[in-house]
Amino acid sequence: MKLDDKTIIKKESITVDFFYKNVKDRFKLTLFTDESGFSRNIYDQNLHRPGLALAGFVELFSYTRIQIFGNTEMKYLNQLTQEERARTLRKIFQFDIPCIILTDGNEPFPEMISLANEFHIGMFGSTFTTTKLVYLVGDFLDDQFAPRISVHGSFVDVYGVGMLFVGKSGIGKSEVALDLVERGHRLVADDVIIVTKKGENILMGSGTELVKHFMEVRGIGIIDVKSMFGVRAIRFQKRLEIIVELEVWDEKSHYTRTGLDEEVFSLLDIEIPYIKLPILPGKNITVISEVISLNYLLKHYGYDSAKVLQRRLEDRLNRLNVDDKRFVDYFEHDFE
Amino acid sequence: MLERKVVIVNNAGLHTRPAATIVKLAAKYKSEFFINKDGLNINGKSIIGVMTLAAEKGSELMLVFDGEDENEAAEEITNYFNRGFDEL
Repeated sequence: MKLDDKTIIKKESITVDFFYKNVKDRFKLTLFTDESGFSRNIYDQNLHRPGLALAGFVELFSYTRIQIFGNTEMKYLNQLTQEERARTLRKIFQFDIPCIILTDGNEPFPEMISLANEFHIGMFGSTFTTTKLVYLVGDFLDDQFAPRISVHGSFVDVYGVGMLFVGKSGIGKSEVALDLVERGHRLVADDVIIVTKKGENILMGSGTELVKHFMEVRGIGIIDVKSMFGVRAIRFQKRLEIIVELEVWDEKSHYTRTGLDEEVFSLLDIEIPYIKLPILPGKNITVISEVISLNYLLKHYGYDSAKVLQRRLEDRLNRLNVDDKRFVDYFEHDFE
Repeated sequence: MLERKVVIVNNAGLHTRPAATIVKLAAKYKSEFFINKDGLNINGKSIIGVMTLAAEKGSELMLVFDGEDENEAAEEITNYFNRGFDEL
């Protein structure tokens, strides 16, 4: 499988407008100011609590981040006189702050709203606690700024394992996906898969907004899997856990025989178990895919078939003078 | 590997009929064919892929050809784009 580094998409910034429209319902945000600050950009996925900046220390003030005003900040502002408060806020509002969020149901002081409007900074309020809001907003920004890549293949949830089929055009990726759907597995996307890095070691895959669960089957044309097989046959997103590359059987190519040496494929700097599957007459790729998934689950639950047989062989080699090649000692009758 | 930059010139953009033609043209050649647009990299031999681009009039695409007959493939497919999918 070939992937081009140039195709990695990474957002540099999002506007406050985009941020507010996407999260206002999820995080129960209310708007305190006008929308004049909505064209400002958010470049940083981290958040900042401006405690020290309010106290006057503005060196190293992370003003490019969304500013979170929690109970501490609001209590501090509360014990200042109105004049001092205005001076303090004016000092930090001069910076190019993307926007401000007040947590824990804190209400802004009247002069705070007028100053935010004067400096064109959007200010929101949330009833969530600071810890919860910081986690939620951080997760949202993490996803927005995550690197993504588009991959050509078919992505199916097989027994709960996210399996991505790749390979040359016309090798039968879509047909395998369709066969798996017919057997009760769920299609995530066909043809164009957008893979997004989540956190440090998770890749999530989904289809595109336009195409969703449509797929092309050679000789038939375009079909809609959701309408045809129903909602049980699809899902919107899935963690990518195994990459299966289909290829025409090649004598020179190396295929694993024991499964002891696990190959990985590095996608967005995350290593994903990778299996190269040769296509041969009489080989049912669908059933093999199910076996790959079940074997992955077995390994996940601590049972590695290849290692178990390897251990049995080693045990046997260590025992001397054993002459019981047969599994059964004595064929009495045709009993179990 | 060959790269060709093209601009969509017809009014309707890259809709279903030209998408199907592009895929058909590409399928004739052994070379691999990819299209890049705004960071989206799709396989030009798949109709769903080409439709995913939703390339409207004026958008710029980068066509990438890779394989033994890449010259012929690039020639024919780039021409088809430049002719505005014969809709001009």
